[in-house]
Amino acid sequence: MADEKKMTEQESLDLITNMIQKAKSSYHETGIGSLLWGSVVSIASFLTYFQRTYEFSVGFDIWLIVLAAIIPQVIISVREKKSNQVKKYEDDALNAVWLVFGISIFALNFYQKTIPEVTAGIIEQEGWQMTKHYLDGSKPDEILKPFAPSLYSLFIMLYAFPTLVTGIVKKFKPMLYGAIIAYGLFIWSCFTRSEYDWLLGGAAAIICWFIPGVILRRKYLAQQQKHV
Amino acid sequence: MFKELDPILHSQLRLAVVSLLIGVKEAEFTFIREKTNATAGNLSVQVQKLKDAGYIEVTKQFKDNYPQTTCKITPKGIEAFEAYVQALQQYLKVGG
Repeated sequence: MADEKKMTEQESLDLITNMIQKAKSSYHETGIGSLLWGSVVSIASFLTYFQRTYEFSVGFDIWLIVLAAIIPQVIISVREKKSNQVKKYEDDALNAVWLVFGISIFALNFYQKTIPEVTAGIIEQEGWQMTKHYLDGSKPDEILKPFAPSLYSLFIMLYAFPTLVTGIVKKFKPMLYGAIIAYGLFIWSCFTRSEYDWLLGGAAAIICWFIPGVILRRKYLAQQQKHV
Repeated sequence: MFKELDPILHSQLRLAVVSLLIGVKEAEFTFIREKTNATAGNLSVQVQKLKDAGYIEVTKQFKDNYPQTTCKITPKGIEAFEAYVQALQQYLKVGG
């Protein structure tokens, strides 16, 4: 591009539009983060469903793979930050949204693990118990431990939240539609037996992150090829 | 009475640089060079002119042992860009 070339007013306006468009479309996420989380959360959700339905165990808490995924995510984030040539205004805000999402997931997990135990302690102190009683007397009464019913529905709702924010802010339709579908899955999960929540949660992870991740990856690789 | 077009901005490469920077928080020199298809030498000169006018901020640092130049538009630059676009619109209204 030459510097001192005389421009007409229309040429100036066209140049401005062209450059703003170039800046807007220049940067694509690598998609690896979305693929990673879409994979681990859907695998953990589906395996939890199969373990509960077919009464088998993989021998360890499958949700530990989600915890372990934090390590590659940190490495991905550091690498992406280093390779990014441009920083947009919305980047910091979106990073904050995803950070808050991560904290909320751990907080909900803490709630899930803590509340039943604390409730059991209170019940024991007060000297009563929860019992499953069959009205037709077909089975004997069973003592129940306190539990948070259908809690995975709330996780599905949480999956949709940062995805929707990202979809709106980045005008990225796969995440926008993915999040809307995930909210639908959340509502659906409120009406199903709790084991099906895991199936719906797995589907939400695929729709919210895995599929948008594949699309982002393709866009990113296409952009990289242009530069070769 | 027509506003005079800002001579700092009414130049192809400088306008391209400012138009790129207006939509982002900051951008590396290499990014600007790639998007404007300018030579490094020419771009350096124009970036320096924009910096001298107070329209952009230029930060030089080392990243992984390589020098890295980052450019960012200033509030004065945003104001000048807005005034330039308004002036352009005025010309185009009359012309169109």
